Amino acid sequence: MNRRHFLHSVSCGFGGLAFSALVQDAAASVLASRQPVLPARAKRVIFLFMQGGPSHVDTFDHKPELIRRDGEMADFHDARKIANSGVNAASAQRLMAPKWDFSPYGKCGRQVSSLFPEVARHVDDLCFIHSMHTEGIAHGPATLFLHTGATNFVRPSMGSWITYGLGSESRNLPGFVTIGPSTGNGGARNYGSAFLPPVYQGTPLGRADAPAAQAAIRNIGHPDLSPEQRRRRFDFIQAMNEAQRAKRPGDAEFEAAVASYELAWRIQSHAPEATDLSKESAETRELYGIRDGAPTEDFGRKCLLARRLCESGVRFVQVTYGDNTANPAWDQHANLPKHADHALAVDRPIAGLLEDLKRRGLLEDTIVWFGSEFGRTPYAQGNGTGRDHNPKGFTTWLAGGGFKPGFAHGATDEFGFMAVQDKVHMHDLHATILHQLGLDHERLTYRHDGRDFRLTDVHGHVVREVLA
Amino acid sequence: MKTGTRYLTAWMGGGVASLLCALSSSGGEEFAFFEKEIRPILVEHCYECHANDTAQKGGLVLDSREGWIVGGDSGPALVPWDAAGSLLIEAVRYDTPHLEMPPKTRLPATKIAALERWVAMGAPDPREGKVEKAASGMSVEEGRGFWSYRPLSDPALPSVKDVDWPANGIDRFLLARMEAEGVAPAALAAPEAALRRLHFDLAGLPPTPEEIAAFLADPSEEEWRREVDRLLASPRFGERWGRHWLDVARFGESYTLRGLILREAWRYRDYVVEAFNRDLPYDQFLREQIAGDLMPSDAPLRERQRRFVATSFLALGNHNLEEQDKRQLDLDIVDEQLDTLGKALLGQTLGCARCHDHKFDPVPTRDYHALAGILASTVSLSHSNVSSWLDLPLPLDVEEEARVAEQESRLAALEAALKEAEKVREQAVAADPARASSSRPEIVAADDLPGFVVDDTEAEKVGDWKPSVLTKTYVGEGYLHDNNEGKGLKTLSFVARVPKAGRYEVRLAWAPGAGRAASIPIMISSAEGDFPLRIDQSGTPPVEGRFTSLGEYRFETNGANFVLISNEGTEGYVVADAVQFLPVGQVETPVNVTSETRDDETAKRRSEAIAEVARIKKEIAALKEVGPSRPKYLGVKEAEKPADLPVLARGLVHNPTGDPVPRGFLQVAMHAGETAPAIPSDRSGRLELAGWIASPENPLTARVFVNRAWHWMFGRGLVRTTDNFGTTGEAPSHPELLDWLARRFVEEGWSVKRLVREIALTKAYRLAAPGDESPWLEADPENRLFARAPRRRIEAEAMRDAILFASGQLDATAGGPTIRPGAANDYTYRQDSLRRSLYLPALRNAPHELLEAFNMADPSRTTGRRDLGTVAPQALFLLNHPFVLEQADAAAKRVLAEGTCDESRLELATLRVLGRAPLPTERAIASSLLTSMPQAEEEAWSTIFQGLFASLDFRYLE
Repeated sequence: MNRRHFLHSVSCGFGGLAFSALVQDAAASVLASRQPVLPARAKRVIFLFMQGGPSHVDTFDHKPELIRRDGEMADFHDARKIANSGVNAASAQRLMAPKWDFSPYGKCGRQVSSLFPEVARHVDDLCFIHSMHTEGIAHGPATLFLHTGATNFVRPSMGSWITYGLGSESRNLPGFVTIGPSTGNGGARNYGSAFLPPVYQGTPLGRADAPAAQAAIRNIGHPDLSPEQRRRRFDFIQAMNEAQRAKRPGDAEFEAAVASYELAWRIQSHAPEATDLSKESAETRELYGIRDGAPTEDFGRKCLLARRLCESGVRFVQVTYGDNTANPAWDQHANLPKHADHALAVDRPIAGLLEDLKRRGLLEDTIVWFGSEFGRTPYAQGNGTGRDHNPKGFTTWLAGGGFKPGFAHGATDEFGFMAVQDKVHMHDLHATILHQLGLDHERLTYRHDGRDFRLTDVHGHVVREVLA
Repeated sequence: MKTGTRYLTAWMGGGVASLLCALSSSGGEEFAFFEKEIRPILVEHCYECHANDTAQKGGLVLDSREGWIVGGDSGPALVPWDAAGSLLIEAVRYDTPHLEMPPKTRLPATKIAALERWVAMGAPDPREGKVEKAASGMSVEEGRGFWSYRPLSDPALPSVKDVDWPANGIDRFLLARMEAEGVAPAALAAPEAALRRLHFDLAGLPPTPEEIAAFLADPSEEEWRREVDRLLASPRFGERWGRHWLDVARFGESYTLRGLILREAWRYRDYVVEAFNRDLPYDQFLREQIAGDLMPSDAPLRERQRRFVATSFLALGNHNLEEQDKRQLDLDIVDEQLDTLGKALLGQTLGCARCHDHKFDPVPTRDYHALAGILASTVSLSHSNVSSWLDLPLPLDVEEEARVAEQESRLAALEAALKEAEKVREQAVAADPARASSSRPEIVAADDLPGFVVDDTEAEKVGDWKPSVLTKTYVGEGYLHDNNEGKGLKTLSFVARVPKAGRYEVRLAWAPGAGRAASIPIMISSAEGDFPLRIDQSGTPPVEGRFTSLGEYRFETNGANFVLISNEGTEGYVVADAVQFLPVGQVETPVNVTSETRDDETAKRRSEAIAEVARIKKEIAALKEVGPSRPKYLGVKEAEKPADLPVLARGLVHNPTGDPVPRGFLQVAMHAGETAPAIPSDRSGRLELAGWIASPENPLTARVFVNRAWHWMFGRGLVRTTDNFGTTGEAPSHPELLDWLARRFVEEGWSVKRLVREIALTKAYRLAAPGDESPWLEADPENRLFARAPRRRIEAEAMRDAILFASGQLDATAGGPTIRPGAANDYTYRQDSLRRSLYLPALRNAPHELLEAFNMADPSRTTGRRDLGTVAPQALFLLNHPFVLEQADAAAKRVLAEGTCDESRLELATLRVLGRAPLPTERAIASSLLTSMPQAEEEAWSTIFQGLFASLDFRYLE
């Protein structure tokens, strides 16, 4: 029985069939860790989501021609103008040089701007893709596309697909956790399981608009309940369930429901420990920039949480740097210098995460993915002091998980506007990450509404050039 | 490209054969060019995806001459002698989004030039070979024989051996099948279990302890019948079955993106509840939802209003209002509407035929586009950067109309007076010598202006802006101008860090003078999107002699809020002084002039004129507050110019292939002798579509609905894939019964209540649900025979309502708008209402947490079957969520106040929560808890109620 048929029958099985495997620990066994279909180079993913669209030409995509011709007018096929007018025409735009200087780093000599001095020290571990392109000119559609491979609202998130494909390595924690998710631009849709069984949906840990220090999984406790009350109430519930179940011995669904309380108890007992940073050494906290009041504190906590969750066996951890607005975080239409605040907040935590994973030998089989819903234009928006969205060309980078270290793939044109060489579509990136986890994006399907759906729809190619 | 394609189509005339002949006559030198330059390009860059033995992507093959002549989904790949008109050339040039080939890397310029040259010389191509197109799905003719598309049959009632068992015709069909398979029906369920099932299924609420006692006193056939009739007549029936329909109609009251709130969607919810309560015939119900606005207008007013509201059905989709390509957005909406119509009413996955012929079902892409033409001729949105839905005026009766009209005319009069007063103010300000006199400058500090002001000193400058103090009308230290130079190189950004999210009027302050530009481009970036406009600085500033109003916009505290002023394309000086953000609704206070107080007449007139404007504005706001305002509904309207759609290859709007497809319906569901209603050329065809769907002849409509009703009563349909009656769906377990039910449904006037009654009165509905180890498990593991009752989980809504019912907190108010008036978007909406779950605001970003945890229907797509997954977050919810704990406390207090002893209290508790007396084991567990904590009665009872709410017998129906 192949994976899909197995899972399909499992999801129907709750309705009436007895599955001995489920009787023991229903929710846990659906999530049980599974062997991937292909040889895997990675076991888990940490996705660092830079919400709003950092400018690639100001960070990781060095464009000397853009610097040289700063202020000149040049013709571009501006995506927003074309979509608005329906006319595929070029318009004159004023080139705007990056606001930060680039320098070469590491043995590979890759250029990184002064926005990311800490990450730059790890450049020999990073695999850049400079030729990303995607769908959606506005944040909403592009953010949905990044997470679900579609711009509508009814597709499972990538983390759900991966957990569906691989299960979780943890008996006590969910397989897919999203730290500080935004409610904007698709909100819960971006970590939802859509038509996949709900056991694969992402579990939010905290919110974008609350400090990471307060982040907790929903409903793992109630401040008014003392430990004794919790224990007594839990025992009473299970006693009632035993009494009622006795009328219908062998009922698989009842057994599954009872098992779900046991799992819930384990989650509420273990999750606080997995998310408790107080046991981390001062040195580790310093590595991530976790100091009271420091600009790096909040994102540092999130990155450290991500590492702890990975150690506990969580399969897919997303860490969002963003907020709940319609123009989130990195969205500098008018005020590009504000990029410096965001870079300051994330640079050290990300470098700390890379360092920490490496020291613990976790980077080997963990994919660290730094990316956004799109990049920004190399020209000034409306001739102002910011840059507009650019889905036609941008940069993402990956580390660990069998990606070529100290490597760069693909290129944008001389200004950094359009991906022109070895283009990598978002579908291709999805396919490639699944491949590293041992999943074939064309075979990881789910039957719904009469057809097989996949993360990459009918598209996507594994980008073999970036694989070590 | 399109011209080229059409040209080729016309030019081909005799078809592929003649073109092949014409092209074969090319000479040897040209073939040599092909072999040397072109073939290597095609082999290296194209064959991987476009060859007979590879993917044939987009239906195109390029490994033979015929391949590019026949072309792919987008038409012929190239037009000989016309490089500019050839798709292949357009694609390799990388000029058009979605048409960039090869997809990974642009070809070197030399190769692009070679291809252009080749096409220009007539595309000489020696390659023979045929195109071998991959086969597609079932043909329309074959499809007409498939079970769901066949006309309804007229099956006779089957004979059964056990003639005493069946209570009605339905039971006869079920028993006949059981007897044939050698399976006996289970015993009837215990009366209290059957009663609980019936109440949840028909009312969505548990029976009261009194109702349970009354039924247990006389659990006869007659009493059961009376109970069914009572529940069908109760308004709770419409609330329960209305909620079912809202699942199918993907009902939601906000959009996911931006959390925009649909203020009028509640009317549709109430329309649906009322339709089920008054047993509106189902065919009429469908007609109203598709074309209620187009139905004959001689009906009574309330009926007409109902019909208009019904059309919200088409407008409820969760659209991507931000899509910048508005033509594409229009067609995405059409697709969403067709997807919903298809699944909800016809059990068809029509969306599959958007890009190509349906791979499995007999639905050609032409049929999709015939239907799409109807909806494309219907307007659902009005477009701007972020498009908006249509809130349309409801027709009113004479009296209401008079009241509303009076209000509107009073408002109109005030608006006119306001305009006049503003003119007076403008003149008074202009006449005041203070503004022109250098000795008495009208200079004001930014802090003295109301609202939130960004002065020019804080603006972000691009290019060289000159400060000036020449004209003495300015804010702060002076103003900026572009010196009438460097056009297109200068901008100013005024970034607004507004103190509070909300709507603001934005005003640009500028100093007048000679030689100012008359058309200055400005862009306002707000939470609602970016809005470009132009202003005129050639005269005096129209507002208070200082400002030009740029309109009202919503801003978020943390958003990209800014006003961008550019000098691009301007003639004359561009001036900017400050930008003022005035909270809408705040009373305008006249400007404090920093110069000495003046007592002359001109100054007095001036301040009076300013005060008058403020007074009228206040009056307008007060009048609007009082109302009445014209009631609106969420709807759609006919397009001004209805038109057919061409087939759009791969669903892309800019990819039309061939001639428009006449608007029409699904061929496979139309049979010999049937004629589709003709669509007048000046109408969208929605009315005809409604007639075609809601017709007794339509083989799908009645089958799909009776199956839904069955599913809602038994937890699974005769066809388990309730939304998919195509070839990839499941076949019915009892095809004759399905047709018998559908036929009777139509013959009995499409009455939903009669159908539900018929099902509720069967024996099959009242069977017990024995455990899985029973003999039925082996004989019929999936319970396809309905020989026993399935054990069913109660839905999220019913669960919440039943908890509130037990705690005594349920607010049973029916209908009306329920979203808090002040809410700007749904992101942080607090769901704290105690009304029935049906009436909780159906917000797509902020559903009630209980509904979310227990698998409510996805409000973005048709949900005929709820997901039944059992997951740990549900258990966590029941263990820790404040809602559960609070209601357990409330239920505990209630039972402590009522009961006289623990014994009677426990009885009351299980009757309320489980619909039955406590089991002996439950008694023992509860009493040991109570004796263990004698000092904490409330805590003990709260623990008991939480335990009951979390227990299996509460969460499941037997």
